[in-house]
Amino acid sequence: MFEAEATADVFLMTQPFSAPAEQSVEAKLIEAVLNGEQDCFARLYEMYAPMVHGILLARVPRAEVDDLVQDIFLHALRKLHTLRNAGAFGGWLAMITRNRAMDFYRSSRETVEVTEKTAVAKSPNRIAMEILDLIRSLPEAYRETLVLRFVEGMTGPEIASRTGLTAASVRVNLHRGVKMLREKMGVMSEPPTVAGG
Amino acid sequence: MDNNYLWDRSGEIDPDIQQLEETLGALRYQPQPLRIPTSLQIRRRRSFYPLLAIAAAIALVAIALGLWFAFKQHQVTTPLDVRQNAQPAPKQIEKELPQPKREPEQAALNPGANPVRSQKRHREPTHALLARSKVRAPAPPPLTPAELAEKEQVLVALRLVSAKLNVAQRKAQGLPAPNPIRNQHKIG
Repeated sequence: MFEAEATADVFLMTQPFSAPAEQSVEAKLIEAVLNGEQDCFARLYEMYAPMVHGILLARVPRAEVDDLVQDIFLHALRKLHTLRNAGAFGGWLAMITRNRAMDFYRSSRETVEVTEKTAVAKSPNRIAMEILDLIRSLPEAYRETLVLRFVEGMTGPEIASRTGLTAASVRVNLHRGVKMLREKMGVMSEPPTVAGG
Repeated sequence: MDNNYLWDRSGEIDPDIQQLEETLGALRYQPQPLRIPTSLQIRRRRSFYPLLAIAAAIALVAIALGLWFAFKQHQVTTPLDVRQNAQPAPKQIEKELPQPKREPEQAALNPGANPVRSQKRHREPTHALLARSKVRAPAPPPLTPAELAEKEQVLVALRLVSAKLNVAQRKAQGLPAPNPIRNQHKIG
């Protein structure tokens, strides 16, 4: 938890200080929340919950994701006053989410493995879970972008604006990730070769 | 192949991508209300930062002014010292300057008094003072390395103050600070 905060602070310090000409919706909402209008945070939650869900789904077992989404938003609400540039809210939240996912594995690795198997066995859509497992086996940069694109249904520009990544990075991650996923799915769908045949 | 569908769902539909969307869409986020505990306290943004910046700027201005005054004082004392050491200079100047009209009267009244002291006491006309100052003011001596260093220090301090004041002004107006990092691209 503390590491997540520290890294998020470092992220804020290294972010370019470039606010848009007019105040964004996020900035207005954050200002309102900091002025005591706690209900405005619900709007931020609605806007960013799919992104947080997607980033977590690319890293942690599905059964844990919903609780972690709640935890991350509560943590963000507590630490909102430390956010210096309201325009960087998406990137800040994404960084908190990634760090929280790492902390999750660090703190409860053994429990996770049992839960993962149970979750897969109970999953209503086994094919989807299998494809998700393939995506999770890809490099980190690709898996997050692919989950946000295919699971959460966000477009490339939406992913870029929500996560704070550049559009070029997202585009590259999408194309390379899909290419690698196709290769992995092709290997999976190929019939097993008969030895000596 | 047109990859716009993968990017923003425009252009020709890629059946593989569409299939992936439909399959993985089953795992999509299901909206749930955020449960905020009543005990949660939201801290307001720290507002002392602009005040701190202004205070720092004022402190820097004070230091810079102090340095500047010290430097100026040092410059003023140097020619005086030179004048005190050099005795013949005032006499020369006295010869050049026109004598005041009241001087003979005063000499007659008090013949034992020191003429130089009486001359110092009486008030000289402004044009005479101006002329004297013109004559007496020698060309400023070349600065010593220590003085040059002090001057440089003052200039640096003034530049710092100017930059700090600029930052403070931008903070006070709610404008973002100028971005010192150019051409930064995120990786990953």
